[in-house]
Amino acid sequence: MLALSGIIVWIVLLVVFIILGFLGRLWKKGDLSKLDEWALGGRRFSAWIVWFLVGADLYTAYTFIAIPSSVFSIGAIYYFAVPYVAVTFGIAMWAMPKLWKVSKEKGFVTAADFVKFNFNSRNLAILVAIVGIVAELPYIGLQIVGMISVLTVMLIGLGSLKLVVDLALIISFIILAVFTYFSGLRGATLTAIFKDIIILTSVVLVIVVAALTIGFTKSFSSLPVKYYHILPLQVNAYWSLFLMSALALYLYPHAVTGSLSAKSPKSLRMSQSLLPLYGVGLALLALFGILVYGDHAALTFLKDTFPAASRGTYVVPALIFYTLPAPLTGFAFLGIFIGGLVPASIMAIAQSNLLTRNILKEMYPKMSQLREALASKISMIVFLFIAVGFVFLFPLTYSVQLQLLGGIIILQTLPSLFLGMVTNKLNKYSLMTGLLVGLGLGIYWMEVANHFRTWTTTLLPISPAVGSLFIGFLALSANLIIVIIGSLIALPFSKK
Amino acid sequence: MSQQTSRRPKRGLLVAVAILTLIPFVALAAVPTYVTTKPEISGLPFFYWYQLMWLFLAAALFGTAAYLYNKYGGE
Repeated sequence: MLALSGIIVWIVLLVVFIILGFLGRLWKKGDLSKLDEWALGGRRFSAWIVWFLVGADLYTAYTFIAIPSSVFSIGAIYYFAVPYVAVTFGIAMWAMPKLWKVSKEKGFVTAADFVKFNFNSRNLAILVAIVGIVAELPYIGLQIVGMISVLTVMLIGLGSLKLVVDLALIISFIILAVFTYFSGLRGATLTAIFKDIIILTSVVLVIVVAALTIGFTKSFSSLPVKYYHILPLQVNAYWSLFLMSALALYLYPHAVTGSLSAKSPKSLRMSQSLLPLYGVGLALLALFGILVYGDHAALTFLKDTFPAASRGTYVVPALIFYTLPAPLTGFAFLGIFIGGLVPASIMAIAQSNLLTRNILKEMYPKMSQLREALASKISMIVFLFIAVGFVFLFPLTYSVQLQLLGGIIILQTLPSLFLGMVTNKLNKYSLMTGLLVGLGLGIYWMEVANHFRTWTTTLLPISPAVGSLFIGFLALSANLIIVIIGSLIALPFSKK
Repeated sequence: MSQQTSRRPKRGLLVAVAILTLIPFVALAAVPTYVTTKPEISGLPFFYWYQLMWLFLAAALFGTAAYLYNKYGGE
């Protein structure tokens, strides 16, 4: 268990953080009973703030917990997160300012608004909204995994492992629900800056101490070749994972929310273009999965305390615990904890936006603004509850698969959103069919890849020569083929 | 005339920003070019530090593209 001084630092900082979240409501004040004020911050955020806001989506439990866990337990292939972060903003810097301009002009708040207008189809918009909501659920589940993992390492020894994990889950959920309900996007943004400062400081501290005292040579010395670099047979899995992740990031409703809150397309483009720098911390954290092999105390703790199925999740907290003194450990642990909290909150806000605007409002067009904002706040808490159900969908060590599963789902909206921006020749029925077939095949291939047992992978073996491919790539390909063929057939009939 | 140029960016500018944007994609998609251990940097295999380096290069290339486009292109 973490020493008292560490726990005190953790609690004090958490209180400061929550106060900041509440103060965020007053910052650049607007009428918060209106949905786009509460959810988009009134589209007033400058380049720097958007940089932090979208960067906050990047420094999540995916970065702190899931990727290091996978590098630790599986090997170099999960370093794919680095090229993913390097290229994804190359897509965003062109696509998002375009979406921003249309959205400002027409008053859109979500991607589904854009789809509804572009294809003049309410049903396609509702479908895109539902897929967006569902895809966020495993991603939020992953954030909760991150929050649980630091609390577990902090409280270990208080009782049996099961008791500690359950306690960690309950505490995490309560803090998350309360924070999300009261802060809104402004609160989340203000605290995102606070969170990133804590995290960057912690990462640098640990990497300096660990790299100097342990060193990579020692850490790698006991490891097989799949930790030094990927194997030749993993090449196709590697590019399909990183390119699809790069395409998926900006399809997520929360990324759209963050981008639309910028004050101009130029400031949005500039901030996106510099975001690869944010990935440096991610790359260093991924290397913790290797460095821990050189730290005897941390490695023994991990092996003695946790079964292999959940061990990976605790790599980063354990390495911090054994590298830094207790007060600094408390500081770093708070960074990781809110690193799950803030993104989970931003994601739940995005989900509730979609639900109220693109589903409820379609059904009850006369809903008052006050009622809309209320429905939004209540649904957010409901979504957080559902997300808890995803926490244990994969064994904790493989929690990165939660994000990849979200990716398989959200990628199916790519034709409607990204292709919809560059061409108006697509047929809405083909888009709907492609989306549904892509989803169905994606889930079916998940079952095949995992032999209809507990899910641990999102890679489907193709052949001995090709190796495996990310299921998101396969499902999106099927989707695109249907969209293109369907639209070509429909083209002659679509002339007015 | 000047209104037209501000609305529609010049072809040369578009080609330049397209190339700047595409370089990181091409370099990183060429996965077999970096699947190797040597040369290492203080024990860290090439595979890791090479891709880490691309984070800086990508930010520089994308940043230049964004700057040029914002300055000389449209919105």
